[in-house]
Amino acid sequence: MTGIVMAQLHRSHIKRRRLVQAGNAGLLLFVGCLAYTQTRATPELKVIKLHENLYEIEGDGGNVTVRVTDEGVILGDVKHERDHDALVAAIKSVTPQPVKYIFNTHYHDDHSGGNAKFLPTAEIISTPNTRAHLLEHIRPNIRQEIPNNQPGRVVFTDETSVFLGGVEVRAGYFGRGHTDGDAVIYFPDLRTVQMGDMMSGTSPGVDYNGGGSLLELPKTLDKVLASYDFDTVIPGHGPVTNRAALVAYRDNILTLITRAQAFVRQGKSQDELAKLMETEFNWAPNSIQQIQNVPGMMTELK
Amino acid sequence: MAEINRRLVRVPAAGLFLLITWLAWTQNQNAPAELNLNKVRDNLYEIEGDGGNVAVRVTTEGVILVDDKYERDHDPIMAAIRSVTPQPVKYVFSTHYHEDHSGGNAKFFPTSEIISTQNARSSILEHKQLGASPNILPARVVFTEETSVFLGGAEVRARYFGRGHTNGDAVIYFPDLKAVHMGDLMADTSDLRMGTSPTVDYNGGGSLLEYPKTIDNVLAAYDFDAVIPGHGPVTNRQGLATYRDNVVKLIVRAQAFVRQGKSQAELARFMQTEYKWAPNSLPQQWSVPGMMKELK
Repeated sequence: MTGIVMAQLHRSHIKRRRLVQAGNAGLLLFVGCLAYTQTRATPELKVIKLHENLYEIEGDGGNVTVRVTDEGVILGDVKHERDHDALVAAIKSVTPQPVKYIFNTHYHDDHSGGNAKFLPTAEIISTPNTRAHLLEHIRPNIRQEIPNNQPGRVVFTDETSVFLGGVEVRAGYFGRGHTDGDAVIYFPDLRTVQMGDMMSGTSPGVDYNGGGSLLELPKTLDKVLASYDFDTVIPGHGPVTNRAALVAYRDNILTLITRAQAFVRQGKSQDELAKLMETEFNWAPNSIQQIQNVPGMMTELK
Repeated sequence: MAEINRRLVRVPAAGLFLLITWLAWTQNQNAPAELNLNKVRDNLYEIEGDGGNVAVRVTTEGVILVDDKYERDHDPIMAAIRSVTPQPVKYVFSTHYHEDHSGGNAKFFPTSEIISTQNARSSILEHKQLGASPNILPARVVFTEETSVFLGGAEVRARYFGRGHTNGDAVIYFPDLKAVHMGDLMADTSDLRMGTSPTVDYNGGGSLLEYPKTIDNVLAAYDFDAVIPGHGPVTNRQGLATYRDNVVKLIVRAQAFVRQGKSQAELARFMQTEYKWAPNSLPQQWSVPGMMKELK
């Protein structure tokens, strides 16, 4: 409801912007910013029930997983800081239990940006590299860096579990992929995994600056498939899917690697690779995918 | 006359003696345990007495403990902590599942995060320690390889290096203070007539043959000077290396003994005379039957 109102507000601001465009650039900037921040304040989030006591929250930022137990809630990811109130409201719509634990799949702001808001009352757990990257604020090519964010206080190298209300939630590090610190969250009793951005959209994003690797990504996915028994797959972004879709996603990465590597080894330029990704893999020009992936691919696929 | 008086007094006197002994013993059990707090480094203390050694890492955002002794020790532990800092206990690392190290978990559970290896948790839930309280609570957060807690600018690390005293011993590392807490991978229990040589809890997945390799892994991985053992006084890296060498010597001697075809009773007597393991002590009960099999 509020989201719709905000969208209308936003549209009216755009109309007004046209009216003042010629006369007052300063006001335009102010109104534009207002509309932007107001829209950011109330993102529209959607709660989807996946299993008994397992929900997924989609919208503005990475998918959040909500595991409800009778001793509290365990979250997988927390979206941007601006999503905090909407996120808490979405959780409250399915349980009165407090959020006790949060697993970060990786350090990006759209997944871990809300850490600081939860840190006073919840234990946040991540890989050491996710913690390190949050502290280093590395990600200079991305617009949404929030310098005041906080990393988890508890880190693990290989695998960790939280046991709460008779329920186990596990997190494992399987190798480099989207970054060098991606945690896969596993809900063993519900045969469900949350992949973070090691599965996202239709074609992989590799954050080379954050230690990611396109060549390692399919191997890392293979390890997840070999280690965990699951049917339901929650990707970092996009709709919930299943094990077969994760296998297909892995296969597509192998296809992309073969195609792009042959291309790079023909001595093509970075611009040509960007164009190839645009035409054959639907990467939008100047998208985050292009900015984060292409320069690193030029080096890695040599 | 005097002879009769003496006899009349003797019986009640014996009874009185027994009563006093019994009273002293039971009151001693209920009385607060006497604990000693020693400073190891700035912001790192060790609490000795009744049960395993507790490490206290003080930070500006709270205290990180290693082990919490028996449940009966909770109040004296808190009093000892209060004597050095007003900070609340935020985290407790368990070195292993035994009651003299993790027995106080339930008391800390409501306000602290308890962290252990996966196997330490499982062994508590499976009641692997005979005679231990059935009410010990396991950690809610477990790890398989290595974990760290960052609090108040300090890091405390815990790692599983392999089998030894049990199959879930965590070694706790204070990197900025160059100190480790070994749990019972190093323990001097000679004050309990259990010797200075290792107790292997075979029922809890321990291994005498793996024991020195596991200590080697610790020595290779972590840079430290101060060593807090599971029991006994604080020592140093050289003390740990010597302990490891003694474990190797014990293996060589006991293995030769077992391979000569000696009986379990003979091995027990050997450990009693050569390594000061008291008859029917825990090392005798826990280690000897397993040693007979493992050292074959």
